[in-house]
Amino acid sequence: MSEQQVKDLFDYVQVRYLWQFFSRTWDREENIDGIVNAANDMFHNRPISKHTPMERLFYADAKEMVKDFKENFPWIETLEPTKVSELLEGLKAMLKEHTITKSLNHELNHTLY
Amino acid sequence: MPMVLLECDKDIPEREKHIYLKVEGEDQRDFLPISNAATIPGTLSERGCAFCGAKLVIGGVLKDTIQMIHGPIGCAYDTWHTKRYPTDNGHFNMKYVWSTDMKESHIVFGGEKRLAQSINEAFDEMPEIKRMFVYTTCPTALIGDDIKAVAKQIMSERPDVDIFTCECPGFSGVSQSKGHHVLNIGWINEKVGTLEPEITSEFTMNFIGDFNIQGDTQLLNTYWEKLGIQVIAHFTGNGTYDDLRCMHRAQLNVVNCARSSGYIANELKKQYGIPRLDIDSWGFSYMAEGIRKICAFFGIEDRGEKLIAEEYAKWKPKLDWYKERLQGKKMAIWTGGPRLWHWTKSVEDDLGIEVVAMSSKFGHQEDFEKVIARGAAGTYYIDDGNELEFFEILTLVHPDVIFTGPRVGELVKKLHIPYVNGHGYHNGPYMGFEGFVNLARDTYNAVNNPLLKLAAKDIRGGSVAQIKEAAE
Amino acid sequence: MGCEITTRERAGVINPMYDCQPAGAQYAGIGMKDCIPLVHGGQGCSMFVRLLFAQHFKENFDVASTSLHEDSAVFGGHKRIQEGLVNLARRYPDVRIIQVITTCSTEVIGDDIEGNIKYAQDAIAKEFPGRELYIVPCHTPSFKSSQVGGYSECVLSTWKTIAKEKAAPTGKLNIFPGWVNPGDVQLLKHYAKEMGVEATIFMDTEDFDSPMLPDKSINTHGRTTVEDIQGSTGALASLSLARYEAASTVDFLKKTFDVPGHQVAAPYGIANTDAMLQKISEITGKPIPASLVHERGVALDALQDLAHMFFANKKVAIFGHPDLVIGLAEFCAEVELEPTLLLLGDDNTRYKKDPRVVALKNTVNHDMEIVCNADLWELEKRVKDPAKKFDLILGHSKGRYVAIDANIPMARVGFPTFDRAGLYRHPTMGYRGAMLLGEQIANAMFTHMEYTRDREWLLNTW
Repeated sequence: MSEQQVKDLFDYVQVRYLWQFFSRTWDREENIDGIVNAANDMFHNRPISKHTPMERLFYADAKEMVKDFKENFPWIETLEPTKVSELLEGLKAMLKEHTITKSLNHELNHTLY
Repeated sequence: MPMVLLECDKDIPEREKHIYLKVEGEDQRDFLPISNAATIPGTLSERGCAFCGAKLVIGGVLKDTIQMIHGPIGCAYDTWHTKRYPTDNGHFNMKYVWSTDMKESHIVFGGEKRLAQSINEAFDEMPEIKRMFVYTTCPTALIGDDIKAVAKQIMSERPDVDIFTCECPGFSGVSQSKGHHVLNIGWINEKVGTLEPEITSEFTMNFIGDFNIQGDTQLLNTYWEKLGIQVIAHFTGNGTYDDLRCMHRAQLNVVNCARSSGYIANELKKQYGIPRLDIDSWGFSYMAEGIRKICAFFGIEDRGEKLIAEEYAKWKPKLDWYKERLQGKKMAIWTGGPRLWHWTKSVEDDLGIEVVAMSSKFGHQEDFEKVIARGAAGTYYIDDGNELEFFEILTLVHPDVIFTGPRVGELVKKLHIPYVNGHGYHNGPYMGFEGFVNLARDTYNAVNNPLLKLAAKDIRGGSVAQIKEAAE
Repeated sequence: MGCEITTRERAGVINPMYDCQPAGAQYAGIGMKDCIPLVHGGQGCSMFVRLLFAQHFKENFDVASTSLHEDSAVFGGHKRIQEGLVNLARRYPDVRIIQVITTCSTEVIGDDIEGNIKYAQDAIAKEFPGRELYIVPCHTPSFKSSQVGGYSECVLSTWKTIAKEKAAPTGKLNIFPGWVNPGDVQLLKHYAKEMGVEATIFMDTEDFDSPMLPDKSINTHGRTTVEDIQGSTGALASLSLARYEAASTVDFLKKTFDVPGHQVAAPYGIANTDAMLQKISEITGKPIPASLVHERGVALDALQDLAHMFFANKKVAIFGHPDLVIGLAEFCAEVELEPTLLLLGDDNTRYKKDPRVVALKNTVNHDMEIVCNADLWELEKRVKDPAKKFDLILGHSKGRYVAIDANIPMARVGFPTFDRAGLYRHPTMGYRGAMLLGEQIANAMFTHMEYTRDREWLLNTW
């Protein structure tokens, strides 16, 4: 896994998905963790829990992302499973840095919607 | 460098914080325009008011609801016949507007009696209508009329009616956006959960943030019907008052316009645990992605793939015909906010169009995060752009077409730039697969309008360009 | 037989006929050159009015806003007025007139408009020594009157601010037509030219119909200048063509500068146009030329083909601005149409006593109802009433669904007429206006006959 690979995935996610830009910090965090974790499970062919509505939502978003990753970044399927996990952890960190910790959005931490 | 102070703004230097020119390698951590901030007086901003954000954008869409505007006559007159949101019941929402027609004596002595009388009259005059929104306006908010108390009193006297009150005077907030917020939060807190829907499918959702502009809702609804998904409430395109009271029973909230309606989706998640799924309903690959996600949520992927295949077979060749011919055209988008990020990448991917400048009237920083993530480098991103800025930006980016409202459209016509109505559309709907072909067609017809070439010609000899070239 | 005058009994309005005062004030303001009205209120108060003008004229007009926000509602909007004026002065170096148009909110808050203007003027004078900039306080709370009164108020306020001293005699005639279309302004200019009368039309809105030019210049604005306004005090006389939109300023010029003032009936129809031309002739001593006798004859000739064949006994409902509605009723009577319903909006109580209304009341030989303080629900209810029968609706586009749903032909006239192309370009006043309106009515009826298969064969040989 290289920094560049994380960046490639990150750039793709940034352009493509709205879930990283939800209204508040906790929504963004919840989505990033939930969706990227579900994607990780999919890459590892682990069964995905779809019991709760939120799990089903993460599954739906992750499914599209995994498909897109495989299509656009075919090298991802050649990686060792542990590498994929590391890659996705890197993606999560980069997403959180951009959309949460270093976001300039003044509204992210309002307590109310 | 990337925050830009335009020449025309040298006397209002704070505008520099609102205009961003994206440079390769930068991202939203580096620069994010200030937005949803107070307007600078006298700048010829494009913004409307909070009242219109509530009445004109959201409430007034409903097809079975009286929109009682408590104030002087102008607020009613001005939010009537300015939108293109048809309904399947003969456009009741576009035909009528109601006002308490406040006069000076009501300002002095209070307007509550006048409001009660107007409400009763409206129900009496239109006995088949049993639902009403009541809005405050600037003066009735200032004098402190208690519209909630009036509504409550009338509901106790007329048990068959239901009234929702929305207190969003034009001066509140800085733009339409405040009115969206007030209406969203008011509705979830006061009306959602007060009625139970009839469930007709094992798959149920709310479709939020689509206002049936030229039939968008109705077009998308053909998809949901084919997929066997029951839409409990459309917030608010072609929607009914009572459907919106049942939003708490949906399994999923699908959100298109996150700016005007994200609040209610957030609250539905917080209060009822209903997940929020944001999609883009404009554009082929976006629409397909949205359908795939919805179907994955419900576990009906096969139905989704079948629908997408059918729609692609029907519309993709038409889209590609336009794509071939629109390749490399330059577009500016001057609309409310979300359409900037909905459109910038979809017109690029689906039509080969380059978006060179975008201005948002009422977007928040969240909208700018999205659009800067999706938009190109070399493109201007403007919050609350004003008229002189538009002129200056045009000389910097030279768009072939501008998606904006009709008034600005009339202005840029003089500059020989065609406009396509980015609010009410030229000939929509524009959502969905068929809709995006409509958008492509209107764009193609706009940029190829033969009159533009004729306008450029100076019959005294040569084109202006030639005359200028000769002079240089 | 006879005329009944009623008043809307409901408190509330369903489908208003007019916009509010600030809207009318903005319309007056855009008729002036190098002028940007500044609306002191919420942003919607100017944004939607600009959209309304754009819908009607298919043009953009510049109107600014002080963008009143919540803090101003609490602490007053003083700073917003001052900043708004200074920003306009800085960024629009050519601007010479700014009306500060108040709204309901800022009148309720009670902002000191005059004081803030003075403050801003001092600041602007310091920054731009010698700059001539007229800042007009225009009080138009939306809870009084309507766009009709707002138009009148803005013209009057502007005159009070700019016309400060008596100019040397100009020999010119001031004509105040009220709220009319560019086509009407062109017609009035044409009449003046034919009569050899030097006239100034207030406001000169001819360029509201503006071109796409090879050099991309934008000339969409009023033509009435500061000098025109100042010169009006030295005019031979003033002529008001609209009792409710223009008379107040004519009166002001008379009282303040001894400019003789005259009021004629709005020149809709043949006889009203005759009276206007005769009045102009009387004031100026210039005879009515043969060319206008010719134009009059052409109009009569055209209308003669329509009147007793197609128009006679047809019942007409008319709504819009009061001077227009009353004038159109008089026109209808000339061409054998029966004006059976007139709708006059807003809370003005003087309409009932208008000499033209009194005359209609005394002379009408069919049933007629005049509804005061009317809204378009009054129209809709009567049109839907099976006991009544209407053959034609005359009015602006806001009444379009009444005609569409009842399947009654409607000729668009007045303001706004956004659902028909190019109407602002044509006069409604004068002989030509009467002829064009008559023909527009006839063509609306003919199309309706065809689409409803109602004796459409009549036209096989017409």
